[in-house]
Amino acid sequence: MNWKILLANLLIAIPVLAQDFKAANALYDAGRFAEAANAFEALQPKTANVYFNLGNAWFRQDKLGLAILNYERAQRLSPRDPDILANLRFAQQRLGVDEIGSPFRRFLQNAVRSRTLAEWGWLEVTGLWLTLLAAAGCIWLPKWRTGFIVAAVAVACVWAMATAALVSRVSSPPEAVVLASKSEVRSAPLPLATVLFNLTEGARVAIREDRGEWLFVERADGKQGWVSRSALAGI
Amino acid sequence: MSKHTPTVTLSEAKGLAMTTRQSAAVVRFFPFADSGLRLTSLRMTVVLLLFSVPVFAQVSVTATVDRNRIAFGESLTFTVTIQGSQSAPGLAIPKVDGLTFAGPAVNQSMSIVNGAMSQSVGLAYQVTPSRTGEFVIPAIEVPIGNQVYRTEPIKLVVEKGAVQTDLSQKVAVRVQTPSQQVYLGQVAPLNVLVFARSDVPLRGFSGFNYEADGLGYKYNPNIKSGTHVEGGVSYNVFLIEGAISPERTGQLKFGPCVVKGQLVSEKRSRAADIFERVFGSRVDVTEAPFTMDAVPIEVLPLPNEGRPADFSGAIGQWNLEVTAKPGEVNVGDPITLTIKVSGTGNIDLVPPPKLSGLEEFKSYDPTTKTTKNELNSGGERVIQQVLVPRSAGSKRLPDVRFSYFDAVAKQYKTATHPPLQVNVKPGTGGQTAIVSGGLRLRPEEKLGHDIVYLKGAPGSVARAFSPVTFWLLNATPLVAVAGALVWKRRADKLRGDVAYARRSRAARNARKQLVAATNCEEVQRALQVYLGDRLNIPASGITVSVADEQKLPAGVREIFEACDAARFAGVPADVASLKQKVEQVIDELENTAR
Repeated sequence: MNWKILLANLLIAIPVLAQDFKAANALYDAGRFAEAANAFEALQPKTANVYFNLGNAWFRQDKLGLAILNYERAQRLSPRDPDILANLRFAQQRLGVDEIGSPFRRFLQNAVRSRTLAEWGWLEVTGLWLTLLAAAGCIWLPKWRTGFIVAAVAVACVWAMATAALVSRVSSPPEAVVLASKSEVRSAPLPLATVLFNLTEGARVAIREDRGEWLFVERADGKQGWVSRSALAGI
Repeated sequence: MSKHTPTVTLSEAKGLAMTTRQSAAVVRFFPFADSGLRLTSLRMTVVLLLFSVPVFAQVSVTATVDRNRIAFGESLTFTVTIQGSQSAPGLAIPKVDGLTFAGPAVNQSMSIVNGAMSQSVGLAYQVTPSRTGEFVIPAIEVPIGNQVYRTEPIKLVVEKGAVQTDLSQKVAVRVQTPSQQVYLGQVAPLNVLVFARSDVPLRGFSGFNYEADGLGYKYNPNIKSGTHVEGGVSYNVFLIEGAISPERTGQLKFGPCVVKGQLVSEKRSRAADIFERVFGSRVDVTEAPFTMDAVPIEVLPLPNEGRPADFSGAIGQWNLEVTAKPGEVNVGDPITLTIKVSGTGNIDLVPPPKLSGLEEFKSYDPTTKTTKNELNSGGERVIQQVLVPRSAGSKRLPDVRFSYFDAVAKQYKTATHPPLQVNVKPGTGGQTAIVSGGLRLRPEEKLGHDIVYLKGAPGSVARAFSPVTFWLLNATPLVAVAGALVWKRRADKLRGDVAYARRSRAARNARKQLVAATNCEEVQRALQVYLGDRLNIPASGITVSVADEQKLPAGVREIFEACDAARFAGVPADVASLKQKVEQVIDELENTAR
């Protein structure tokens, strides 16, 4: 879609969104959580706050997998919102979903997830501009060459970090959250294949391959297998 | 060549590419002393290796011993040598009553003599007798390729050692085991004890040879020692701790075995060297063998009678402990059920107990930690299972049970633990909080814990990042910097190279002057300025003769002559035509320069 058309749509959509958003909140406050969830689901475009409130509506109905799914989606759009992080952790704790995988890998994943794709993009562009400006300063202003070299190295590090994060985000496989209370992961995309391990409701997995009814998924600890599509929902 | 025949020994080989199956070889040359000669001979040897004729076809197998007659307590080396082959086949050494074989140590060698290459492999076994007498090492069958070769039988004589008769009265070797009846799969302790009267100058041990076919015997090489008094006689006791884990049923035997002791005695002759006398050892050490006859061990299969349905192979004597922490939790909080199985026996055969009745809990894969002793005759296994209660109330954890075979009591047993109770409170119940500043809240105060309430406004829509914008923003500074670098390079050249600077602006300056020129003199001046800049000489120095020397276009001479005629002879001239000619000269020279 042309960005001008998109911008025009957004300008029209946001006032409408605000009204419907308040109406959905009112349903939630009235304890009509199922209706509130439907109302939040119907809102377009989805902002981080819409996903957050939708997650709360599912949480109140004890649908913790769906709640985690929407908190994850909210976190994608607003990765440093403390409310989203708190509710996500709370729901995961309630389901007993633990973070698995090596601490270093978790640290890297959390670092990459701490910014949106657009934020990493702007950081990369800014880093590149500043690096080249500092490099140009080294050439055309030799009087302050040392200072420009230090600045160039520093901003080049920022640029490299942002580029690595950007590449990681763009190249990483799509992720999904387990919705079913018990999901058996099998050795082959067949109903009678050997069960390798079980997935906990609310757990996050990476989708490595999509074969229609079956998805080849990888857990954070590297264990892989085939699981029915109906058990998952993409973030 | 005949004077310096090189010999290549494969067993010492490293770093030289070979044409045979062996990947590495060290080449030893002798008797060369000169390094230049060595280099030459190295090359020659490589050539020899490449072109030598391998003698593979003639395979022969021989068996030899280093001595045919030894004293009891000594060992000899039995070697099977295969000539004409480099592969070391697995040999089945037949059992000889009273002899134990240790090894083999494999030694491969290759030699080249006068261009003919021969190879051999030797398998050396250390043979230790456990009694005196005459022995025969029977023929050994050696399979090579499709053929089987046989060695000749070898006779041995083992005589009594000098110290054996006396010592046999003073030193005894015994086996200590709880029972001579064991079960298949059981790990049973089997210790070897050496009792030496306190007047025997026994310093330590240098070897332990035994026969324990089918018993899976392992021992701890760290020998423990102590004392023992029996019948008023004091003994030094040495303990070799070990365990058997039978691999088949039937009547088996442990032994005979030989423990080699080190006896010390004062040196009889004084050393002639003063240093040897002061710093040297003042005692002689001799080896003495202490033997023990074979002990029968009966290995029984596990009985079928009374075997529980959930029995899965655990044998030994085991204790079961079960704990659950914490005893009081909120809904959703984890409870850790710890099952500890400890005791004697093979801990590897103890399975994780099966738990049932977990419907009221969400359960996770258990974690298992196993520790065992060196001989695998005992240890403990700790299994931790995380359970998360789904609802509030007083919950009963499942009972834990597992079955094993008690080899001492000779019966199957089932260890059980009654179900534990935990109190699960509703999820909204709080927990004792510790404020980050270090202030502890009153213990009775509970903090509630719930999700954060709704957001009041929809918030802003995430800004999209168009790929085109992204790549433009990345490409722009790169292009700008590249352009700036090119510009800087040109500016630097213009500053530092006068000829280049004049040449590069010659046409532009000349054209400016030409446009402003109104007479022949000014036209000629414009041409002179152009040519002066182009040739990097003063404009006033440009004359017809210079133009001819520089082989400039013919138009230059014509313009100069026309201008001179107009200036000095008053011949009328067409200024516009001259300007056009100058333009043509400039274009021609500029095009030539390109």
